[in-house]
Amino acid sequence: MARVRLEHVTKRYDDVTAVDDMNLDIADGEFVCLVGPSGCGKSTTMETVAGLTIPTEGKVWIGDREVTNLPPKDRGIAMVFQNIALFPHMDVYDNISFGLRLRNYDDDEIERRVERASDIVQLEGMLDRMPDEMSGGQRQRVAIARAIVRNPEVFLMDEPLANLDAKLRVHMRTELQRLHKELDTTILYVTHDQAEAMTMSDRIAVIDSGQLQQIDPPLVCYNQPANLFVAGFIGSPSMNFVEGEVTEDGFRSKNFGIEFDPAQIGVSPGDSVTLGVRPEDVYPIQNATGLSDKSEEIDATTDVLEPMGDEIFVYLMLSEDAETDMSGVTQDQLLMSVDPDSEIQEEQDLDVILDRSRVHLFDSETGEAIVHGLESPAQAGFEGGAEAETDD
Amino acid sequence: MAAETPTGGGETSESQGAFSRWVQSTIQNPQKAYRALFYAAMVFFLVTTLFPFYWLLVLSITPISEIGSTPFGFPPVPRGAFPWNFGAYIEVFQQVPFHLYVLNSFVLAITTTVIVLLIASLAGYVFGRLRFPGRGLLMLGVLAISYFPPAAFLLPLFDAFAGNQIFVPFTDIPLFKPPRLLNTPGSMILPFSALFMPLSIFILTTFYGQIPDGLEDAARVEGTTRLGALFRVIIPLSAPGVATAAVLTFITVYNEYFFSSIMATSNEPSNWSPLVGGILSYQTQFTTSYNLMAAAAVVGVLPVVVLVVIAQERIVSGLTAGALKE
Repeated sequence: MARVRLEHVTKRYDDVTAVDDMNLDIADGEFVCLVGPSGCGKSTTMETVAGLTIPTEGKVWIGDREVTNLPPKDRGIAMVFQNIALFPHMDVYDNISFGLRLRNYDDDEIERRVERASDIVQLEGMLDRMPDEMSGGQRQRVAIARAIVRNPEVFLMDEPLANLDAKLRVHMRTELQRLHKELDTTILYVTHDQAEAMTMSDRIAVIDSGQLQQIDPPLVCYNQPANLFVAGFIGSPSMNFVEGEVTEDGFRSKNFGIEFDPAQIGVSPGDSVTLGVRPEDVYPIQNATGLSDKSEEIDATTDVLEPMGDEIFVYLMLSEDAETDMSGVTQDQLLMSVDPDSEIQEEQDLDVILDRSRVHLFDSETGEAIVHGLESPAQAGFEGGAEAETDD
Repeated sequence: MAAETPTGGGETSESQGAFSRWVQSTIQNPQKAYRALFYAAMVFFLVTTLFPFYWLLVLSITPISEIGSTPFGFPPVPRGAFPWNFGAYIEVFQQVPFHLYVLNSFVLAITTTVIVLLIASLAGYVFGRLRFPGRGLLMLGVLAISYFPPAAFLLPLFDAFAGNQIFVPFTDIPLFKPPRLLNTPGSMILPFSALFMPLSIFILTTFYGQIPDGLEDAARVEGTTRLGALFRVIIPLSAPGVATAAVLTFITVYNEYFFSSIMATSNEPSNWSPLVGGILSYQTQFTTSYNLMAAAAVVGVLPVVVLVVIAQERIVSGLTAGALKE
């Protein structure tokens, strides 16, 4: 068990900067997920901790030791790989005990430890199998057993569940959480799957283009994203973004506006800002009776419905001549999530409102968050909040 | 005759000949034609490769007095009375210490194979698994050695192994004075290792390059060094490639004659003259004991046959594995 620290770690390959001035401080026993899109540098970051990659600049600390230039074997770490990486020419017992045998433990000790590790991951009776005789989930458990058998100070997991099918992935997710509770070891976990990161970790480190965007507990990342990237990356489906401009009395985009006092949140009229709102914070007008803090009504037409079972995703068109730009982003579309029993049809005219307290504003130029949730403008004649009708 | 057709042909073929019926059924079932071609090709290769051995066998059991008096017919058959004259197989060991020549070749081949595998493994790891500038060029350089005619190296090497002073080329600045290596295994193993190394490096590079990076990373995280990962994980997983490189090197050195005939200044086992030198020692200025040479050749081939039979499964998968991916 140990604290892991990265100080200004940078890794450059020729002309590509894979990791750019990364600073991380992971507490003893913490479960931290590094999450980001493919090629964002999260695996490289982990490799610098593992010692498989030596950073171009910066220092890596594990516990009280600086390990920047130590080989992997001397760092007290264990790692689970995306492709599982069991040694195909060894049976399960030899795979699990590989590290112990290298360190010249005596046979009894090795047997005792392998037994305990295989108990933890429920591999009893499979110790003499070869890896190619096992299913994906079993192999994954062997890989985990191989990692825990040495009682490492830090666990590194590089997308360990990526190659498993969806059902097994969810199952292994809970197993990993259970394992974390049981072993109480520092875990650094790399994934591109934000759902995995949300469900398992104590803190999420969101990485993009080699740079740390935000490191916070999952719900903080979800509710108070530090910038546009985090806002768009965390949450599925992702947040709606609407570009617009600050006016004297609030925000105005092509299709709608929202009122607030610009001075109060430190913007001035003329600034270009991006409004972000999650699909579940958009409400059809008839469902919004319980909402205390409504925005103005927005005219919309429903486009496509995606029933998910527990909710329906509704694509709303805000104007007739909706255009889509190259990246598939449109200024004229909003995604809304509603109750599955809502009676909404395709091609239906519908007025929607936004939950003002859950609206985010971002600086369009820097992408940095300006404010999370808009204060209610002190304005009379605002209806609603009377009935306690449920909405999600 | 017509009734013998098991399938195909059918009623219409009653009036046709056997070949027509075969053609008919082949058109319906092209697999038959492929199989026929396969057998034809196989028989051809079997005959061309095995016939020389058969002839060696025939020669070795025919008394020398019968050889050369009248030409052999085709196919050659052993002459003399039935239990034929297997005495040549004993005589080869009586006339010269043939076993010592075989032993020489064995020692040379095994030592060379070990050296080549060890160094080629390290080189194969570097070329196959590391990325560094100039890798392609360096690999080309290594391979270029094997494109040189070995004879080009002979004179300078002989000069050096004779223990003569080495000078900087085109000057008379003395460089160093090597030890005299003629008539020792060193004078043969050194050039063999250098000449046969490129092929092994090439084979092992291909194999080591195909082992997934994850396995090496896993081994290193588990506690090996890079070298440890090479020997504990990469080499065991590349066993077919290693076996291929080993067998090819072994056989080439075992059969080698050009360098060893010159580095051993006389054709004596004590001068490390190899197997082929042994076979040729049955030839004197006035006599050529074809039967003994044939018998010696058969004896010399046996160890290689045994080796290949043992390793064949690995070699076959090794020679083809490089071409396939997963």
